[in-house]
Amino acid sequence: MFYFLRALIFGLVTFSGILFSLSYKISLQAAMVLAYFSGNLAFLVGIGAVRCFKQWLYGEKDAEAHKEETGWKRYFQFTLDHKVIGVQYLVTSFVIFTIAVTMASIMRLELARPEMQFLSFEQYHTIMGMHGISMIVVALIAILGGLGNYFVPIMIGTKDMAFPRLNALSYWMLPPAVILLVSSLFFGGFDFGWTAYPPLSVQGPLGKLSFLLAFITVGFSSIFGGVNFMTTILRLRAKGMDFFKLPIFVWSVFSAGIIVLLATSVVASSLILVVFDRAMGTSFFDPSRGGNALLYQHLFWFYSHPAVYIMILPAFGIILEILPVYARKPLFAYKITAFSFIGIVILSFVVWAHHIFTSGMWDLLTIPFMITTELISVPTGVVFLSALGTLWMGQIRLKVPMLFALGFIFNFLIGGLTGIFNADVPSDLHLHDTYFVVAHFHYTLFGGVIFGLFAGIYHWFPKITGRMFNQTLGKIHFWLIFIGFNSTFLPMFWLGARGMRRRVADYPLEFGNVQLWVSLAAILIIIGVIIFLYNMVQSSIKGTMADSNPWQAHSLEWQIPSPPPKENFEQLPEVKTLPYEYGKIST
Amino acid sequence: MKVKDFLTLTFFSMGLTLILWFLITYTKIMPQAASYEAKHVDGAFNAMLAVTVPIFALVITFVVYTLFRYSAGKDQSEGIKFYGSGNGIVEAAWIFLSLALTLGLAALGTKELFAIRGNDQADLNIQVKASQFSWEFYYPEQNIFSPELILPEGKRVRLLLSSEDVVHSFWVPEFRLKQDLLPGKVVKLLFTPSKLGQYTLFCSELCGSGHTTMTAPVRVVEKEQFAASIKEQSW
Ligand SMILES: [Cu+2]
Repeated sequence: MFYFLRALIFGLVTFSGILFSLSYKISLQAAMVLAYFSGNLAFLVGIGAVRCFKQWLYGEKDAEAHKEETGWKRYFQFTLDHKVIGVQYLVTSFVIFTIAVTMASIMRLELARPEMQFLSFEQYHTIMGMHGISMIVVALIAILGGLGNYFVPIMIGTKDMAFPRLNALSYWMLPPAVILLVSSLFFGGFDFGWTAYPPLSVQGPLGKLSFLLAFITVGFSSIFGGVNFMTTILRLRAKGMDFFKLPIFVWSVFSAGIIVLLATSVVASSLILVVFDRAMGTSFFDPSRGGNALLYQHLFWFYSHPAVYIMILPAFGIILEILPVYARKPLFAYKITAFSFIGIVILSFVVWAHHIFTSGMWDLLTIPFMITTELISVPTGVVFLSALGTLWMGQIRLKVPMLFALGFIFNFLIGGLTGIFNADVPSDLHLHDTYFVVAHFHYTLFGGVIFGLFAGIYHWFPKITGRMFNQTLGKIHFWLIFIGFNSTFLPMFWLGARGMRRRVADYPLEFGNVQLWVSLAAILIIIGVIIFLYNMVQSSIKGTMADSNPWQAHSLEWQIPSPPPKENFEQLPEVKTLPYEYGKIST
Repeated sequence: MKVKDFLTLTFFSMGLTLILWFLITYTKIMPQAASYEAKHVDGAFNAMLAVTVPIFALVITFVVYTLFRYSAGKDQSEGIKFYGSGNGIVEAAWIFLSLALTLGLAALGTKELFAIRGNDQADLNIQVKASQFSWEFYYPEQNIFSPELILPEGKRVRLLLSSEDVVHSFWVPEFRLKQDLLPGKVVKLLFTPSKLGQYTLFCSELCGSGHTTMTAPVRVVEKEQFAASIKEQSW
């Protein structure tokens, strides 16, 4: 706690000091950039990120182990244990998730009736953009950073990630970014959604710069995480664990890691170019001075489309990891599913232009992008084959994680199938930038990624905390959120096709009743989320003690005590088979 | 899979397909079509419905049926049979089928796209200028500026779209066409209005605080009245 407070003070003092002293000499925009990066560095110093350099300097050997605080306090400092970092990521994700849900509630309140109720257009746009970027960050970091960090090293049978310090660094870059993002509300907000298209993103208040800087930081943090996962999975697997004995969740994290590594730098650089346009007077995207506004859209989507696979692949992994446990059957078609993950990775790099079919790009060029985009449904279909094949002839146990996995199948099926409508150029000419698209990506990202996240959290909760969650509350949470989610977003397909634009604060009178229905249905989601958060906090403090393997699962993380000891294994394991030999009496 | 399973699945998935099809038709998911291009967009849209609705019904029926048929119920004991972890024929058939459907839909999409974009001839040019947060229409042949977009029924028009400041987008839901307006560039959009009536043009690319209210009236008039109608608009 001491380190965290010290970091906050270091960061804030440096940020405001530099901002105030420099803004007289250089432009406010440029001062803000420098102040933020210095502030972020000062925060990292405060949290203890440079302690290792000091130790090397003084020749201390491995002093860190002694200095680390224990108990809940270690979650507030620069700790190297991958399990602590995993929990830090998870808790941070749910803090951001709560912000996002609050923003969504304000939006639905405003949209419940036609005409403007209590928000101005600017306020609505900022709240909408804040909801968007917060959920993007949650979807990016919660599964990969949270559950990935916690379980990948255990599942492959090793003590920690390959680069523990880099791992801690990639987490601790985030809190300053989140603070900056939220503070953009006080710097005039931002009215460009989460996509920040120039020239709109080049003009206007300082809040837009806060958004860009926060996004860039998340990008760098994500790259550090990606390289760490790749190295860990390539180099630190237990004896006997070759690539086709990896749990499918590890395969999915590995595939997502490839995308993180190859694509994130592109979006970071395009956002940096926008920062240059704002702070240094360059004109990369300003057509009146020879720039090209469309260029940004290509660069942005070159990352931001693959980014949805960074989010969804680990969710696929969780679902396919969970289904065999609760269906008591081996994972169906394991090998081609692993290959299909790699297929998704490859295809994800050649589909970005389906976001900009209507942008004024060359018509003939839209055709190859339509074909590649629709081809992604082949490897995605294999994931469904694997899920359905695993269920068939199993012994299905409808525990809470299983309910969420089944909900995922239902939602993601709708999300995936409606994606075909958006991938098809002729129908996308009509559907682009409407509620149809809003419904589609909520079905894939909320109905998919967030349901996957819930499934994973319930599944691994006894492992992380050593306690069992309240299963009745878990079931209530599932039914509230499953019914609420579908009643909220299914009508949006209809609204969009009928002519409801996205990202608007008001709409024609004819949509009034359906919009009211959507707002009412969203209440179920909010209640569900509150019940979930209550259940998690209450059960992790007071829940009944759980057995080390309450689900009788076979993968490595269930063969060690709950919560796992500091270096996971007393003796590194040796692996002989896939962890899906269910149905066989285990020997 | 036994015959009984097969028949049950077929029966319920066909039933579900019919129900969904009825709901989609009954709620009229698309607004009225007011351009020739709209027919091609709707054609592509309906073809995709015809493929995706049965797939959805089949998968959901399969999952729900499996849950009932293979529920463990209260019995938590471990089974003794080791069920197969794959089936080469099913896997190959699944991949082949999805590949065929995907490529078929992509081919159809390409065909409809050519029907929409293929013809570069037009009877009439109109310049459309967008700026934060309003629309302006200029008829060069008549040298008339107008705040309302007036179009002759049955004549192919070429809109020359440009933006004064940020990215905007031209969308009339009844025409089913959307086209972004980029600063520093003129983008064409060709189509043929086919139905008399009043419509609304919506800016559909977030362009700043006034984006919500950035709309303009659109009117399709008879060919004979077109010249007179735009004269009335002259500022
Ligand atoms: Cu606009």
